[in-house]
Amino acid sequence: MKKALMKDSVKEIKNTYKRFLSILLMAFLGVGFFAGIRATSPDMVDTIDKYYDSQNIYDIQVISTLGLTEDDLNEISKIENVDEIIGTYETDGKLEIDNTEQIIKVMCIEDINKPKLLEGKLPENSEECVVEPNFLTQNNKKIGDTIDVEIENTENNDGEEVEYLANKEMKIVGTVRSPLYISKDRGSSSLGSGKVDYYIYINKDNINAKDIYTNIYVKVKGSNKYETSSDEYKELVSDTKSKIEDIKDEREIARQEELIDTATSKLEEAETEFNDKKKEAEEEIANAEAEIEDGKKKIEDGEAQITENEKKANEEFASAEKQIEDAKTEISKNEETLNEQEQQANEQFKALEEQKNGLQSNLETVNSSLNTANETYNGILEALKDPNLDQGTLESLLGQKTACEQQIASLEATKNSLVSGITKIENGITSAKQEIENGKAQIEAAKKELEEKESTFQDTKSSTLAQIQDAKDELEASRIDLENGEQELNEQKIEVQKQLDDAEAELIDARDEITKIEKPTWYVLDREQNSGYASFIQDTESIENIGQVFPIVFFLVAVLISLTSMTRMVEEQRVQIGTLKALGYNKIQIASKYVLYASLASIIGGILGMCVGFVLIPKIIWMMYSMMYEIGDISLSFNWTVGAIGLYLIFICIVGATIYAVVRELRHTPAILMRPKAPKIGKRVLLERIPFIWKRLSFSRKVTVRNIFRYKKRFLMTIIGIMGCTALILTGFGLRDSISRIMPDQYEHVFNYDMQISLKSGLEENQIEELKSNLKQKDEITNTVETYMTSLTAIKNGVEEDVQVIVPKEKDSLEGIINLVDIETKEKVTLNDSEICLTDKAAELLGVKIGDTIILQDSDGNEKEVTISNVVENYVYHYVYMSKDLYESLYSQDYESNVLLVQDSDLTEEQEDSLAEELMGYNEISSVSLISTAIRTMDETMESLNYVVVVLIVSAGLLAFVVLYNLSNVNISERIRELATIKVLGFYDREVYDYVTRETILLTLIGIVLGLVAGFFLNYYIIGTCEINMLRFNKTIEPLSYVYATLITIAFTLIVNFVTYFALKKIDMIESLKSVE
Amino acid sequence: MPYIEFKNVNKIYEMGEIKINALNDTNFQIEKGELVVIVGPSGAGKTTALNILGGMDTATSGRVIVDGKEVTKLKNKELIGYRRNDIGFVFQFYNLVQNLTARENVELATQICKKSLNPERVLEQVGLKDRMNNFPSQLSGGEQQRVAIARAIAKNPKLLLCDEPTGALDYKTGKQILKLLQDTARKENMTVLIITHNGALAPMADKVIHFKNGTAEKIEINENPKPVEEIEW
Repeated sequence: MKKALMKDSVKEIKNTYKRFLSILLMAFLGVGFFAGIRATSPDMVDTIDKYYDSQNIYDIQVISTLGLTEDDLNEISKIENVDEIIGTYETDGKLEIDNTEQIIKVMCIEDINKPKLLEGKLPENSEECVVEPNFLTQNNKKIGDTIDVEIENTENNDGEEVEYLANKEMKIVGTVRSPLYISKDRGSSSLGSGKVDYYIYINKDNINAKDIYTNIYVKVKGSNKYETSSDEYKELVSDTKSKIEDIKDEREIARQEELIDTATSKLEEAETEFNDKKKEAEEEIANAEAEIEDGKKKIEDGEAQITENEKKANEEFASAEKQIEDAKTEISKNEETLNEQEQQANEQFKALEEQKNGLQSNLETVNSSLNTANETYNGILEALKDPNLDQGTLESLLGQKTACEQQIASLEATKNSLVSGITKIENGITSAKQEIENGKAQIEAAKKELEEKESTFQDTKSSTLAQIQDAKDELEASRIDLENGEQELNEQKIEVQKQLDDAEAELIDARDEITKIEKPTWYVLDREQNSGYASFIQDTESIENIGQVFPIVFFLVAVLISLTSMTRMVEEQRVQIGTLKALGYNKIQIASKYVLYASLASIIGGILGMCVGFVLIPKIIWMMYSMMYEIGDISLSFNWTVGAIGLYLIFICIVGATIYAVVRELRHTPAILMRPKAPKIGKRVLLERIPFIWKRLSFSRKVTVRNIFRYKKRFLMTIIGIMGCTALILTGFGLRDSISRIMPDQYEHVFNYDMQISLKSGLEENQIEELKSNLKQKDEITNTVETYMTSLTAIKNGVEEDVQVIVPKEKDSLEGIINLVDIETKEKVTLNDSEICLTDKAAELLGVKIGDTIILQDSDGNEKEVTISNVVENYVYHYVYMSKDLYESLYSQDYESNVLLVQDSDLTEEQEDSLAEELMGYNEISSVSLISTAIRTMDETMESLNYVVVVLIVSAGLLAFVVLYNLSNVNISERIRELATIKVLGFYDREVYDYVTRETILLTLIGIVLGLVAGFFLNYYIIGTCEINMLRFNKTIEPLSYVYATLITIAFTLIVNFVTYFALKKIDMIESLKSVE
Repeated sequence: MPYIEFKNVNKIYEMGEIKINALNDTNFQIEKGELVVIVGPSGAGKTTALNILGGMDTATSGRVIVDGKEVTKLKNKELIGYRRNDIGFVFQFYNLVQNLTARENVELATQICKKSLNPERVLEQVGLKDRMNNFPSQLSGGEQQRVAIARAIAKNPKLLLCDEPTGALDYKTGKQILKLLQDTARKENMTVLIITHNGALAPMADKVIHFKNGTAEKIEINENPKPVEEIEW
């Protein structure tokens, strides 16, 4: 290029910097967006790859339904290409914090799958552990606190129960991020709420149950060299994976045998012990029985003795009694004799008494005579005493006296003889009486003696009898004792028998169990089966897909912008071009100025775009995804290939458009070029031919209509630009609409249940019925439906999709719980007995429709062919619905429900949680999952979608701005004379503005309408592209989103118009009118 | 009091460090209904004076009074209003809106001013009765300039300002245009200012202002202006 031209070019840029900038900005946007979006997916993969490499993440993971042994580990390690291998222990435990139970995944720090230390240090001994940061923040814990982890006991190699941990109480010494959990989902658990809340890492030393590994992790040699999820990586790993799968069977059998051996030897031991115990028990019983027999005999002997003794005693009593009787008889005989003698004596006494009485009367007579004599005598004496007594008298008296004295003396003698006679009689009587009395006393004494004897005898008798009674009583007591003993023995015999029976049953069970020990199943998994990783990789693919479409809009607009700007520029410089041409510059030299101009704009813009795009867009997208993933910071890279492609494309677009514009002008001869270009000729538009409408238009509207049709290119560009803008915004909102409706669509429209209760296996029908009726009694539960659910693989023409099969116990019971709605007719569907219903996305993926057949394959490889009766609406995962009859006839197997679908009565979150917790307490229930929890988690994820919308709106806004600003610039520059003229005519600023922007507004409106249509399709396409296999996005856009897209586009238009207003105000009338261009 | 008065008007353009004195203490007066021709060489300040008078430019100093209104003191919006209602402009290159027909071009002007004339009548008056619905590109140069004049007249302005109205036209057509302008001035009693570098046109005017070095050097008054038809150049 000639120097002068070069100078001219640089000056040109200076003078028309606005135009230069708009092309530059377009290149910036185009390349930035293209490179940014395109680089994001590789950057994301690179990030996870680096993260995985640095944490030494497994390539292959082996888990088994019955755990893994050292032998398994050894066998795998022998496989070629196995670089590193570890066996480790991962299990779920419980933790109680503030009365809430937390389920935690407990893992060991190993060389493979190293957690990334964020704070503190790693556990160095069995008393320490590390947790995830969330655990601390959400539970108000800090490093240094201790936690008490409870883990179910496990079995060791000998089949004995052992504690899983050596030390349950551990101190938190740090926080880590686990590379095994890159998504926020911590997986499911058979414990508690069925969901793992947090993970913790412990030192391996703290594992007490070290015999059985839960997981084996394998690193494949050289795998770190390749980027994870790259084809090379996948190939390398799948090679080793298949080799591990080769030994799978063998190892499974080995493990089974081992388990059988252990169990068998344990059983044998138990049997021996049982037999010993049985023998012992039987001996004990026999001894006890013999003892009782002995006791019985003793009692009998005692009884005989007592009888004999009684008899003897009775005989003795009889003889003694006879003796007493004899004695009594004799005594009474003697008494009789005595009485007779007494009587005789009494008669004699009478005679003697009479004699005595005769004597007595004689005595009395004597006594009276005596008394008389005594009186006479006393009279004589008295008379004598009288001193006056004559002698005669005296002597007579004396004489009398003497006579009296004599008489008295005789009388006295008689009297004495009489008294002695009486005394004699009296004595005789007395002695006789004495004799009788003596006889009587003798008898009395004898009697008394006898009585004493009798009483003694009686005493003896009664005491003897008492003794006999005592002996009898004693004997009776011991008999009762014996009877009790016997009864007790019988009871014990029954008890022992029962125990023995139980033990024996247990042994039988155990024996049965051994036969039931199944072959364990090994699962050989690679990274793809890590759900977080898989969804992450899938997300990177979605972004890649979006990267294919979005930049197209920008490129298209870039082409249009540069085409108009450069055309305008060339037109403005017609004269100069003509002059140069006339001076003898060739076409290439002339064109080079414009090409240079465009190249500089596109390259500078492109490189700037790359620089910003490579950083900003991956960062923004990463920020969105970091709400779902825990990986750390994105590792940004300057992706040369992508950058170069973007730059190349934008260069082609812009410079191509420039060359097109220049070449078009250069065709003309210098003479034509130097003459001013005839202004665009005014033409009548079609609308004028319809006077009906045309006449009704105001003058200014007519002008607007004319102008629109006058500048067709601009018309097209504005519309395309605005259309792109509206379409992008609408797509942003549409994406959000679609994704945020997945959950409500699935869990409110299709699935209408609130809880899914998994039942323990092997329940009897009546147990389930009982559980159901228990549940029905709860106020919180309004409906329960029994179903059987299982996972199968649906196959058609080599395409495989995992499906969940739901078989309701009663055909119509799904009504209201799961709404089966035909995707075409939108009518409710009922199950029939020969065909299945398949969900829509699965049907699409498998490429089947109503009436087609698919193959359902179970995990054992059994294949059944079924016909599809309906394709039904569904949004998450794939389902096959079949009736119980069909299931039973397909699998010739009895139906057995394993899941209860439960509807509750509009409970709050807390109520639902507590209900779930309560249900977990039932023996029949193995897990409870709440739909609300799933929705809640998903909703959080949805929040991040707002960022997508923001990114789209911002980029769409930039696009709209660049397009409109550019157009408005071109418009003004092209029509500057016209605008100056109307200004001279006295149009106010506002009127000038209206004169110009009325067109823009009209075109914007047309663009918006078209953009809404285009957005609908773009949204449809984008959703179709990034739709995950397991999900069906609803492609309809909410009406409000249309409103938003419209309003936002209008807002951008107004901003540009505002800028235009000032540009118009600045138009210099004089300069513009000075000369013809 | 004169209808139009230029009093000590200066206009200085600053082009970077260079100052150009486009008008240098210019003074002149014009009476109502006069046909004035302004003559002078290129760069003498004719157009600048006309632009200031027409409200398209502002004076650096001095006063311009039109019909008692001091134009130099008008604010932007008032200036637009002044252009809108009081001034009619005719340019050398017509400056018609290409996308509008002859009538529409006139309408463009009439629709915004208060006391406008009927566009069709004005067009008829300028002799374009039959070309009313033609686009500018379908009209000859003279016809286009007639449209331009019609557009200016239709506003019924106080002043009709014409900057080299015949500059882009051939002799005959130019003459017709000048005749139209002269007739308009006479018939409508309109104050008309015509800029021309052609001194031969001076006799058609009531007043001739000679510009030189940014100032009205000489002002002549023709007692008997000649009809255009009688002027040859």
